[in-house]
Amino acid sequence: MNSIEFRESGRGYEIRLLVLAGLYLAAGAAAAYLWAGGDPRTYVIGVSAPALAFLLVAVIFQALRFKADPFLLPVVAVLSYTSLVMLYRINQFYAVRQFVWVLAGLALMFLTTRLFTNYRPLSEYKYIYGLMGAVALIIPIFFGTEEGGAKSWLNFGAFHLQPSEFVKILVVLFLASFMSENRMVLTRDTVTVRGISLPGPRSWGPLLGMWGIALLLLVFQRDLGTALIYFGTFLAMVYVATARMLYIGVGLFLFMGGGTLSYYLFGHVRQRVDIWLLNPYNFIDLGDRAYNQAYQIVQSLFAIGAGGLTGTGLGGGYPLFIPAVHTDFIFSAITEEMGLLGGVGIIVLYVLFIFRGFKIALESRDDFSKLLAAGLTALMAIQSFTIIAGVTKLLPLTGVTLPFVSYGGSSLLANFVILGMLMNISHEANAHE
Amino acid sequence: MNDNIRKLAYFLISIFAVLVVYLGYLNVVVGPKLFTDPHNRRLAAAEKGMIRGTIYDRQDVVLAEDRLNKGVKKRVYPFGQATAHLLGFVSQRYGRIGVESTFDSYLLALDDAGKIQALVDRVLGRQRYGYDISLSVDSGLQKKAAALLAGRSGAVVALDPRTGAVLAMSSSPSFDPETVEDVVKTEKITKNDKSTEVNITRYDVLQKQADAAPLLNRAARGIYPPGSIFKVITGAALLEAKPQVLNSKKVCQGSITVDGFVLKDTAIHGSVDFNTAMAVSCNTYFAEQALDLGEENLKKAATSFGLNLIGYDATGRIRGDYPVTGGEIAFNPGTMPSGGINSTELASTAIGQGRTLVSPFQMAMVAAGVANGGNIMKPYTLETVTSRSGRTIYKKQGPEVYASAVSTQTARLLADAMEQCVKRGTGAQASVQGVRVAGKTGSAQNPHGQTHAWFIGFAPVENPTIAVAVVVENAGGGGNVAAPVARELMRLYLKK
Repeated sequence: MNSIEFRESGRGYEIRLLVLAGLYLAAGAAAAYLWAGGDPRTYVIGVSAPALAFLLVAVIFQALRFKADPFLLPVVAVLSYTSLVMLYRINQFYAVRQFVWVLAGLALMFLTTRLFTNYRPLSEYKYIYGLMGAVALIIPIFFGTEEGGAKSWLNFGAFHLQPSEFVKILVVLFLASFMSENRMVLTRDTVTVRGISLPGPRSWGPLLGMWGIALLLLVFQRDLGTALIYFGTFLAMVYVATARMLYIGVGLFLFMGGGTLSYYLFGHVRQRVDIWLLNPYNFIDLGDRAYNQAYQIVQSLFAIGAGGLTGTGLGGGYPLFIPAVHTDFIFSAITEEMGLLGGVGIIVLYVLFIFRGFKIALESRDDFSKLLAAGLTALMAIQSFTIIAGVTKLLPLTGVTLPFVSYGGSSLLANFVILGMLMNISHEANAHE
Repeated sequence: MNDNIRKLAYFLISIFAVLVVYLGYLNVVVGPKLFTDPHNRRLAAAEKGMIRGTIYDRQDVVLAEDRLNKGVKKRVYPFGQATAHLLGFVSQRYGRIGVESTFDSYLLALDDAGKIQALVDRVLGRQRYGYDISLSVDSGLQKKAAALLAGRSGAVVALDPRTGAVLAMSSSPSFDPETVEDVVKTEKITKNDKSTEVNITRYDVLQKQADAAPLLNRAARGIYPPGSIFKVITGAALLEAKPQVLNSKKVCQGSITVDGFVLKDTAIHGSVDFNTAMAVSCNTYFAEQALDLGEENLKKAATSFGLNLIGYDATGRIRGDYPVTGGEIAFNPGTMPSGGINSTELASTAIGQGRTLVSPFQMAMVAAGVANGGNIMKPYTLETVTSRSGRTIYKKQGPEVYASAVSTQTARLLADAMEQCVKRGTGAQASVQGVRVAGKTGSAQNPHGQTHAWFIGFAPVENPTIAVAVVVENAGGGGNVAAPVARELMRLYLKK
């Protein structure tokens, strides 16, 4: 199959894959019905509405001759369907709300592809994003409520909003605009000190600025995970723009510095790191106090360990033993009930998403598009890695959502916007072939 | 810029590859250990909906089973106190110990095949069953051991020296595993003028008995000074380092003075050779030989039998905790100081005093090692696991060597000397009519009163099938107190 033929029939792949994904959802719903029972009509609506909505979007894309990458939408569909099935199994209340959020997210994604098909002018308003982002991050510090140790939520009564989920898109937009405009300066700006060329002030300005924002998040919102994701994405984009390892080195050094400082300054950070250092299978010797402190992560590891290769089957495990299983720890629940194979399956889906994302970055024709696509993809990669590594205790636990899978409207909507942006960039690149 | 993007993509995708490998490790390698962690509420949850597997002894005698009484499930232990430490118990409140905990994943059928079966059973609404397990334990011997120890504090371990099979493991005083959760009384506690009634369970009562410590499995986790049974190890060190020792004699005058300290002997033994010294348990002989032999040779022999060397801090306390050897039975492997042994201590270590501490389980393994031509076999309790439908889930594979303690030659010479001990020495009360028995007695001095009575041995000498270790706390001499216990066990097992 040559690439031209592929592009012509791309949407066809998308539709066929989405049909398969729909069957996957139907199988999940059938398993849930066998396990939980209840009104069959709920299941029929629960399966048909999302499956048809995704297909509808794909059909409209085909009609509009939208030339975006055909694999991203099916990958996201499978992730969202997994989310719906798992949430239904964990707590039907969350599943119903997530059902609405998925449909809303899909609509938002579609809107994004319609309103910003020509996304390039977005690079003109970078200081507006900067300002908006800063305001959105500062508001929760004064008016926010605390959930799960992080004070990063705004309470609107009916629903809670986490501005930092949306700000991450603004951050990538801002950085892509700034770096594509100042790329030459960033790459060449040097100050020679005793024969060693170092980046000049115009370069390390944004570096320090970003470090400051990350620390601000950490200190005032106590949101270690989001800080890590912002800073990681920033470093990834700096690398793409300049390829200067010195920046990365300095950046990592600054982050380590900030991290070490916060270890000594903040009890909750210290606790997370101390828990991380525990041996995963010597909890017996910890004594009950240490065991209680590590309760969440221990429960998560117990769930993962219970899964074995094939898992206990849907409804056969005890994921509700894990606190916050519907948000941060949903990966542990998936691994318990679908086993190692299910867990690895989820990871493979993210790798596919990342692969297609970077392919889009490679194929786009200008610096802004490349930086934007690479930045959004890196963001998605770092976020999913951070939370999966966190709940498996590969890294210290930081509370962030698993994109498209964890329960939560803010996160889901933001991620669908990212998907829409990536598809726009892909369309733009393919449209001019 | 594309080059940078590619490198970034490789990096990010490779960290996901690391994640996959780590998840596999966690799930497959660490997973089973996590699953049977006593803190894991899944065990209790899984148990609610199923009949836990039955535990059988080597002759299919039931040691533990779930019985339904008017719809209420209860774990029943037909041998009661006699198997309490070996089998342990399962309790929502007090966790899980013993064989019940070690083989939890079998008893609850938690392997992958069991999980699939569970799924099928759940869909079909069938009763779920755990796997049945068969142990290497001989229930008759186990019962006898408990009866022999009754009323005294102590422990018995019996092994098959050829395979490492645990035949009996008994600790006294014991407890009734079926009633640990029962409320025995309620106490009123008044705090800030508010009085609340607190239920005191049998477990609470047992736990408070610090001296008797009925919950402690003395057989595996009790640590005692070895006394003269350690001479088997000193003897092994001697025979390995200086085989010519057999041709020489030493003169015992009833005591030996080392650097001004006097080590008393039990009697004036006169001129003694190796076998006589072992038979009459001559302190002078072994102390003098150890001084010639040196600290390193003694430590080498001890570690080859599985003892651990541990450090002590300036105040004389050990650094860290006493070691525990894992496996099917977690036991204390015995400890000896890693250094700083002066001549006086070297002489007393050789006769089992000093700072050396051992468990009955470890000493049974020492006896088994001598019995089995110098090779200590890896101890085990689990023979087979069978599903309710008769499928074999697990079967013990051939015996594994745990440690090569001494050469075959040394083992044979030690066995000869130990046989002399039973024939004409301190171990006379261990002799069984018509069976060649080898053994060694010990009367270990300790700060708590009378000596601990020890006996380790095996039979028949020409083809040993049972090795035993007996300790009775503060009960006097090993020859009078512990040897008869061992005799009764060997007599029963060998059907004499």
